[in-house]
This record gives sequence, C-alpha cells and structure tokens, in this order.
Amino acid sequence: MSWKPEVDEIKRRRELALAQGGVDAVAKQHSQNRLTIRERVDELLDEGSFEELGPVAGTPVYNEAGELVSYDPANFILGFGKVNGRRVIVGGEDFTMRGGSPSPAGLRKSVYAEDLAVQYKVPLVRLHEGSGGSVGGTGGKGSNLPGPVNAPSRFRSVAQAMATVPVATAAMGAVAGLPAGRLVASHFSVMSKSTAQIITAGPAVVERAMGEKKTKDELGGWKVHTKNGTVDNGADDERACIEEIKRFLSYMPDHINQLAPVLACDDPIDRCDASLLDVVPRDRRVAFEMRKVIKAVFDEDSFFEMGKGYGRSQITGLARLNGQTVGVWGNDCKFLAGSMTADGAHKARRFMELCEAFTLPIVTLVDEPGFMIGSQAEKEATIRHGTSAVLTAAMTTVPWAAVMVRRSFGVAQAAHYGPEAYVLAWPSAESGPLPVEGGVAVAFRREIEAAPNPDAKRRELEEMLAAKQSPFPRAEALSVHDLIDPRETRPELCKWLARVQPLLPDLLGPSAFAIRP
Amino acid sequence: MTKIELETGGSVWKLLVAEGDVVVEGQTLFILEVMKMEVPYEAPQSGTVTTLHIAEGDSVAEDDVALEIG
Repeated sequence: MSWKPEVDEIKRRRELALAQGGVDAVAKQHSQNRLTIRERVDELLDEGSFEELGPVAGTPVYNEAGELVSYDPANFILGFGKVNGRRVIVGGEDFTMRGGSPSPAGLRKSVYAEDLAVQYKVPLVRLHEGSGGSVGGTGGKGSNLPGPVNAPSRFRSVAQAMATVPVATAAMGAVAGLPAGRLVASHFSVMSKSTAQIITAGPAVVERAMGEKKTKDELGGWKVHTKNGTVDNGADDERACIEEIKRFLSYMPDHINQLAPVLACDDPIDRCDASLLDVVPRDRRVAFEMRKVIKAVFDEDSFFEMGKGYGRSQITGLARLNGQTVGVWGNDCKFLAGSMTADGAHKARRFMELCEAFTLPIVTLVDEPGFMIGSQAEKEATIRHGTSAVLTAAMTTVPWAAVMVRRSFGVAQAAHYGPEAYVLAWPSAESGPLPVEGGVAVAFRREIEAAPNPDAKRRELEEMLAAKQSPFPRAEALSVHDLIDPRETRPELCKWLARVQPLLPDLLGPSAFAIRP
Repeated sequence: MTKIELETGGSVWKLLVAEGDVVVEGQTLFILEVMKMEVPYEAPQSGTVTTLHIAEGDSVAEDDVALEIG
C-alpha cells in the first residue's frame, strides 16, 4: 500500500491553508480596500519566488475516528522570497483569521521570522496587520499552559535581527500590541495612510482605562505617527508602502558583514551644479532649501528621505554618490532654523546607528545653529537627547564627510562631524560657540547698554563678529580640509568616497554599540 | 483649489500678495519669521489668490492655512 492517503491529506491541508480565513473573511478584507497577507507577499516578491515556511502549520479539529473535520491555518505567513533578485525573509499576520491576534501556530511562525533572518543573514521584511495577545489566550478559550521560566526571551531575536540584517516593516492595517512593537523594531518603517493605524491599545481598552473616547485613527492614524517618529514614512496605500520598502532595501547590504551594493551610475562624478553658487542667500537671515542642495549634489534622483515628518529640523536619508550608498544628513533651516530639537536628535541618532551598523559612509550638509532653546525645548529634555546624538557621532567608526554649508554652532554642531571627518567649507560657512545674534546681546550686555544708541551698537558688534566667522581664517589654519566653490561639492565628495571606499571592508561586522529602535 | 499650509509656527513678516492677485509657480507669496530666520513660501502652482487668511504681523501656528490659490 502506498502513502497516497497521506499525500492526499497533505494536498488538502495546503489547499485549506491557501483559503486563509475563508471566502467571506477575504471578501470583507477586500471590501475595506485592504489586501490579504498573501496578496501583500506577492506584491513584494519577485514573481514565483515565494518559498513558504510551515504552510500547513495550524489548528486541526479531529472527529472521534481521528479524521480531520476542520482546520484553521496559522494566522501568520512566513517564508523566503526575492526582492529584485535578492533573497529576503518575509512575514505578516493574516488578519482574516482572529483579526491577526496570534493563534498558537501563528505565534510560533511570527517569532521565528527574526531567527530565520539572523540564521540566513538576509533582510527581514514584516508586513503587519494584527493585534497582540488576547486574555483568552492563543487557543481562544481559557488560558494556555504558561511558558517555562527558562524560555529564551522573545525579544532577544528581535534585537539580534536589528543588529545583523536590514529590517523593514510596514503597517498595512490596524497594528496593535506585539505586532506594533515589532513594527517599530526596524531600521525602516512605513505606514499606509489610507488603511493603517498603529495603537498600543485599541479604543475599547483606552476608554476602559482612561475614560478617553477616541477612534483608531485619532489614536494612531498617520497624522499622529508620521509626525512623532513612530514610523519613518507614510505612503498613500499598501502598494506604495511596499514600493518604499523595496527602495529602502536597494540601498542596503544583506547583512552587517557585507558592503552595500554598488549600482552603475550615469550621473558624471565631476558634475558641477550651477545652482549651488547662489542657493544660500547672502543675507544671513534668509532661509534656503537644503533639499535643493541634496538634489544637486548626489546621484540624480537617488535621495531616499527617511523620517520627513518628524524631527523636521534635521533631514536624514540614504542616497548614492557614483552609485555607492551613503547616509545623508542635512539641516532644514526652514524648520525652527534647523536647530537640534529633542525629536530631531532622536532621528539623527537612529540615522547614525543605521549607517554604523551597515558600514555606510555618512555625508553631512551642516547648517546647525545649535540646540533648540525655550521652555518647550527644556521640557523635552533637548540637552539630553541632543547630547545622545553628539556622543553617538563621536563613537562611530564609519567615514564621514561634512560640508559646512552655513551655520555650525555650539555643542549641537559636533553631532554633524564624526571622528576624523573630511571637512569642506563653503564660503557661506559660519562657525563658533553660538550664533552672533544671540551671543552678542549676552556677552556685550554692558557695552550695549552704555552706548548712546544701544541698537546701533549691537548691530555694529554683530557685524564685526560675523565678519570674524568667515571661513577663510579656518582654511588658513587647516581647521577645515578645504574651502570650496559650492559647485565643486559633488566632485569633491566623489573623490573622498573613492579614497575611503577601500577602508570599508575592515569596518564590517558588529557595531561597537547596539542599534536601538 | 490649493491650500498653502504652514510648516511651522512663527509670525508673518512680509505678505507679498493680495486677494485676487494672479501668481505664477515659484513666486514668493509671503515670508514668515521663525527663530530669527526669514522663511519664504513659494506658490506650488500658478493661479489666483482666492482667499487670504493671514496679515503682516500675525502670529501663526503650524498647519494654519495661510492662503488659497484657485
């Protein structure tokens, strides 16, 4: 007798697994303009590349004769696949069953995702829509047997994954509890503006505990979470989220022992963009667009901004120079004068940790007036968060190039120059302990008060000191490597990158400090 | 109809257009003063200024609608 009956049974279970939560549950998912997890996986991966892991894991119900009468597949889909030809691990909750709240097999598969990524050293992509545990337990009725006291920490592998491989996540629908924690335990996260909410606890729990009546969107829609740094980016819909993840991965190596891929580059390395000559206004009070500088310097259309909605005085992202990935960090003087806020410092720290973990050289475009000041800034513990960024920069080992575009002041400016940074100054560069506008009023208070016309005296002192901040003496003193025509920025940075590129292989491997979400 | 929303709070330093003015894409509409910096706002598209919600000297907040271009 052959094994045909069992083989038929395997086939049947595979078919049942593909049915997910059933026709009605899938139709409901679609009626709310959301894809199912299997459709999301298909959208992400190269066609036909999905190699599913544990497809028949699930919860069976047998009759007295030992025959299968019903079968609930695990509500977490997991497997290998390829994104633009490169292998990844992909996983995500199946919201069509139990609202994504983990079933026993679903939980096992979900926490296996990080282990696999670490074991196989390939990027991890998680596409989240689900909630955490239920007081009913994973079985749905009554509590399960509690886990053993010596079980390994569930979160250790989550932390290890972040220290080993690129982790990119998306919130596709409502994400709460454990999935929300894992969503942000990532190097890049994006949420769908049209379908996702991220909540630590949902409206019912919040109302019971806090007496606060809020909808899911009010608690955790994109307007909340793209502005507070919970996620890096917002995208219009699920497909746009997946495009953002693909774009992020295109800049990244597969793991910390590999260098980022180098793409063929059509953009000439000696291209000098004429607009850079007058992008910074001579009038020091007038703001300018740092993103125009970024666009003009790096490979055409290569800038991928991360965290645009929060910590907005700092601009961070990935870009390419001559086809090679670099981390890019600039100040946006149009937002709070480009000053280092608490959330800007947090964003900058995460950016530096990402670059350090994956050995990506860092290019800064500096226009830093200093830490944000005022009562709100003090309430936000700006000095602590800011100093955290400064010390993170000081501990990095990757190569840095810093372009002094305009202002570079105070303790905060130190965050923009890593150890042994290659420093180029534009003619518009100014630097010192603090900007003259603030400093003169304090340092020369008596002299100003004693003058017949205090205002005129203050302006005279400001002008005199501003002239002293000219970058020429800095260049003469070798305080900077070179003073450059702004149009030469791209060629100079490309030459620098060619010099530091041979140093990168020796920097591969685990970072000296852990990467934190 | 395009609403010009403010990226940050601050004060309206210079208002360079009036209701009914025809503006072209890239034209500076008004300048905010934020943390001693002048922050110009440019027209994202050509059109006519249909409604003005700000005046010079106003204190404004993030996400306020400054004006509308139709």
